[in-house]
Amino acid sequence: MGGRAESTDGRLNLSRPLSLFDNTELGLERAVSGSAERQTLLANNIANASTPGYQPLDVDFHSTLAQAMQTGDAGAIESAQFQPQRSQLAMQADGNGVDVDVESAEMAKNGLDYESLVSVAKARIAILQYSMGSK
Amino acid sequence: MGLFDALDISGSGLSAERLRMDVTAENLANAQTTRTATGGPYQRQEVVLAEAQPNNFQTALAGAVGGPSSGTPAGGVDVQGIVNDPAPGRLVFDPGNPDANAQGYVRMPNVNTVTEMVDLISEQRSYEANVTAMQTDKTMLSKTFDLLS
Repeated sequence: MGGRAESTDGRLNLSRPLSLFDNTELGLERAVSGSAERQTLLANNIANASTPGYQPLDVDFHSTLAQAMQTGDAGAIESAQFQPQRSQLAMQADGNGVDVDVESAEMAKNGLDYESLVSVAKARIAILQYSMGSK
Repeated sequence: MGLFDALDISGSGLSAERLRMDVTAENLANAQTTRTATGGPYQRQEVVLAEAQPNNFQTALAGAVGGPSSGTPAGGVDVQGIVNDPAPGRLVFDPGNPDANAQGYVRMPNVNTVTEMVDLISEQRSYEANVTAMQTDKTMLSKTFDLLS
């Protein structure tokens, strides 16, 4: 993408102009939305813990995003699609595949994941604000 | 797609589990009821749950224009109805009971109080799991709003 300063190896290429919001910022934004989507899916799994025949949903947004970020292309990062997957594993007698303990643990992890992403995003905004002398 | 969706989904889980607890309480309360409006002993009731399809603008638009739905497939849980358990109740020899048949046997409701108590515990735990999910979601939301400060 024109105007982006990253080269494909992820390091800064200072021969091109550096934009205010780079691929890292974009990746952070996409990761936050991926984590929010995952939270929705995990909440759905817990809500359907007693639904006969229900198979749990989950999304691996980390690897999808990692692949997109490897290309170094802002467009690829922006358009990376997080495809939810339905598990086909463990079954109870009624065909339900939800393990509430596993889902709760994943939800706790995802919550921390989300908070760390938001903290990093906040720190980056603080750096920008500082560099602009608005703090 | 959004964090508020997750709150709605957990909310649907809460109301479904509460309804299951209500029905279990009804079964326990009528464990000895031999006479009902429809005649015969009380029949144990059960809640039928199904996965709900998301009903939001994104999926409605995708459905209308025939495009692929890019939204999340998560829509919470849907209560399909309350059905009677058709299993016959046990016969108890009690000639003094006004509902006893000619041989002195009374047909009791098909409610097993032990099963109902176990169901009640599982429903309570599921309810709590949904509350915890809501709390996690609220923490995440407030963290996001923290970005603006």
